[in-house]
Amino acid sequence: MGLLSIIRKIKRKEKEMRILMVGLDNSGKTTIVLKINGEDTSVISPTLGFNIKTITYHKYTLNIWDVGGQRTIRSYWRNYFEQTDGLVWVVDSSDLRRLDDCKMELDNLLKEERLSGASLLILANKQDINGALTPAEIAKVLNLETMDKTRHWKIVGCSAITGEGLLEGFDWLVQDIASRIYVLD
Amino acid sequence: MEQHQDPENPNQTLDSATQKKHASMLERLSNLQQTRLQQSLARKSDSVSGPSFESTQSFITRFSDSKLSIESQLAGARLTSDPQRRSDLQQISTSIADLEKLIAENSYYLPSYEIRSALKSVSELKQTLDNLNSELLPKKKFSFRNKGTKKEPSNAPKEKEIGNADLQQKPVFSIPDTPGFRNKEGELLVKDFRGSDIGEFTISDLDSCEVRLSGCVRTIFIHRLKNCRVFAGPVSGSILIEEVEGCVFVLASHQIRIHYAKGSDFYLRVRSRPIIEDSNGVRFAPYCLCYQGIEEDLKDSGLDEETGNWVNVDDFRWLRAVQSPNWSALPENERIGTGSFSNYLRERNHGSNAYDFATSYKFLVSSLVEEKT
Repeated sequence: MGLLSIIRKIKRKEKEMRILMVGLDNSGKTTIVLKINGEDTSVISPTLGFNIKTITYHKYTLNIWDVGGQRTIRSYWRNYFEQTDGLVWVVDSSDLRRLDDCKMELDNLLKEERLSGASLLILANKQDINGALTPAEIAKVLNLETMDKTRHWKIVGCSAITGEGLLEGFDWLVQDIASRIYVLD
Repeated sequence: MEQHQDPENPNQTLDSATQKKHASMLERLSNLQQTRLQQSLARKSDSVSGPSFESTQSFITRFSDSKLSIESQLAGARLTSDPQRRSDLQQISTSIADLEKLIAENSYYLPSYEIRSALKSVSELKQTLDNLNSELLPKKKFSFRNKGTKKEPSNAPKEKEIGNADLQQKPVFSIPDTPGFRNKEGELLVKDFRGSDIGEFTISDLDSCEVRLSGCVRTIFIHRLKNCRVFAGPVSGSILIEEVEGCVFVLASHQIRIHYAKGSDFYLRVRSRPIIEDSNGVRFAPYCLCYQGIEEDLKDSGLDEETGNWVNVDDFRWLRAVQSPNWSALPENERIGTGSFSNYLRERNHGSNAYDFATSYKFLVSSLVEEKT
């Protein structure tokens, strides 16, 4: 009976999941969160700091932490790592120039010990824009195949504007987390 | 203790132990004496081979011989290839240490001047070796690492990454279809998005150019512009601007992010708050573009109403309530249309076809139209 099992018990009772949304600035993190929650996405300012959204998703309560992606505030991402069950990495599939940056930041994130148990969902956003890379191309550029074998991950193409792909991604994420944490149910 | 020794003593076993200790100590002492004798004999036989026993002259000869050989080794180390270099330098370092030992061993009979000059030569040799080391061998970078067990899996894929990244980024970044204006100097660049299916548009690496975009587009990336003017119709997604200097932008978009901008003016209509980061000397004013059909384009993109957000700039480098020193609102009398832009147009008209474009395309700043009528 360790701390982990106590946490598991508490979480099982509340059916809560903590999800961290990160990615470069302009990738569409806030738009995705608002879209999932059915809110208006037409007026969204670049995130100065972070937003928290609590969403009921199937029988679970998702606490989604949407953290700003501007370079200046990326160093604060670490403050949100603790107890993260699911990590959502959002990529702007139309921003070819900064894919290097994107890969570097993701690699740094995955080295983080506090996130080592978190399921990883990569959202290749902005698929609705003509000229965007496909999820398969993004996976190649980010070199996802070489990721640590113990990591649960999936890449899904999506559009925060049309909503396409978002549910598929979050369904997988929630299922994956549930199968790890609430395995006794 | 030994004097109080008594055969009847119950502590006899202990005493015999001390006796044993004593004996072994004596043995060690005699051994030491023996080796010392041998060393001095060896030294003698060494000196015998020289011209005289314990002579300063013989020392100087031996010293200068090894010094010369080290110096030639040092000179040679520069020429060897990388893998061998490390071991070579290592060897030179041991030779210098030997030389130092030689001085120490002979110091008991050498005149102090000889000792001093010998020590000085040695320290010079060491200095040369140090210089060579720092020059030829790359320094190991100091860094904090995770635990050793974690390191290996993360290192192995990394090596692969380098190879893979090269292979994969080429097809990605050389996609010729990504529409945009790139690597131009002193040109007038025009693009009409109406009737095209272009989603993203890139403007990068321009110097002293004027860019005129009309019609709607989903997103614009602007990167590395110097002394340029960019006029664009509405953008229904976001605009990302990085590394611009001495430019003027007239843009309408849902989101605008400005990074690394210096001394530039932005005429914006934005649905949300524009942001700047790592920028200074940037000024903001409301959007002021006019071309035929812009009203319709603005409406289609949901940008037909002035939001007043052009002045609600968030500076990510200035997270305080006080106004950021990095940006300001552009005073009305300095805004384009009240003179500076038309001057600019007139300048360009000499020797270029800018005027033709302007009249045929009706791509004019609204106030300019007023000025002409």
